[in-house]
Amino acid sequence: MSDIKEKISAMYDGELDNSEIDELIEVVNNNKDMQKQLSLYSLINVAVNYESSKLSPNIFHKNSFKEIFSNVWLSNGLTAAATVVLTLTFINYSDFSRLNENIDSTNQISSAINSKEAQLIAQKSEEYITDHVMKVLNDPNYMNSSSQIDLRNVGFNLNTKDGYSYIKGKEKFQLRIENKDFGLKKVRYWNHGNKMIYLVPLNNGKVITLYGNISIASALEIAKSLDK
Amino acid sequence: MKENSRDIDSELIKKAKKGNHGAFNILMNKYYPRVYASIFSFIKSKEDTEDLSQQTFIKVWQQLDSFRGDSAFFTWVYRIAINLAKNFVTSSGFKKQKINTSIEDTEIDISSFEDIESAIIHNESLEEISFFIDTLPESLKTAFVLREAEGKSYEEIAKITETPIGTVRSRIFRARESIVDFIEKEITNNE
Repeated sequence: MSDIKEKISAMYDGELDNSEIDELIEVVNNNKDMQKQLSLYSLINVAVNYESSKLSPNIFHKNSFKEIFSNVWLSNGLTAAATVVLTLTFINYSDFSRLNENIDSTNQISSAINSKEAQLIAQKSEEYITDHVMKVLNDPNYMNSSSQIDLRNVGFNLNTKDGYSYIKGKEKFQLRIENKDFGLKKVRYWNHGNKMIYLVPLNNGKVITLYGNISIASALEIAKSLDK
Repeated sequence: MKENSRDIDSELIKKAKKGNHGAFNILMNKYYPRVYASIFSFIKSKEDTEDLSQQTFIKVWQQLDSFRGDSAFFTWVYRIAINLAKNFVTSSGFKKQKINTSIEDTEIDISSFEDIESAIIHNESLEEISFFIDTLPESLKTAFVLREAEGKSYEEIAKITETPIGTVRSRIFRARESIVDFIEKEITNNE
């Protein structure tokens, strides 16, 4: 029985040989305990991710559903947000000069999307990132949950009037640090209305999320300062 | 990095498309908690989340032929779930609305996930699980966290921890077993 359970664990991780699947399908489907086992593994995954992202904490106690989603779901933004994950962009964090010169190059982005590395990253991290981006867009508290960081060395001052945001001139954004790398090796970014979402991997294995009116150059400058 | 996770899902999907309910049942058991948690984080109603989660898998079953594998399976399932939640919200005027499609209309056995649902609904339970993971023996915790939180493959974990892949597989399984024991003894029995 323990051997079967270990196979279920390996299957859950996608580390089982395809040749063993048929046997496992039969065993699992004839045994409710095994089915529950599989679901509990998934629950554990929810718990692991909950700890780092805190599933939309009590948003309905503070605001009505309509208010929260008025700018996203009701304007079809949610669909856009979900779709945008499939049209994501990849850029090299390390190559700053090229980035700044060619940031709008559709061909370059298209090429990056189609690269083997990009596809691999997308497959590895797609689900986590989908969850993460949805929370950035939908949960007003999500981006406020990280500790404050001093960004004055790159010219951004902390503004605490309407949640925690950083301001420099016309640029205003919120920042969050994840203690996991989402499998990201490169910067990913999305347009959402007049705001941008950037996920920037740091050298220490963490990922920063920047959300707001901020240019890619500033986002990368901030990431670089946090890497020091 | 092996891409087996997708490969195995693809294999299960291929079988499910051919009418293998067992393969679909495995996919459902594997992803139901994550779908439930995703919907609940938006809807915050146990009953509606349960309805929408079940409806999601009914739709997944009905539309399985249209899944081409361009994205990860869960991403596709997630999109269906979120669209259902969106339609639910916009069409119901935020009032309770029963799902029209009855479970009996399908040939799928939608199991009850009561214990799991309860654990997801109560944030403290998820936190307790996280705290328990912290108490695991270091070797188990390292392998488990590298897999679950970092998404590393067994091969990558084997290289990082300098242990054979078989040991990695065994450690991750033992970590999960410990956590499952904890859930069953400390969480689901106390609901």
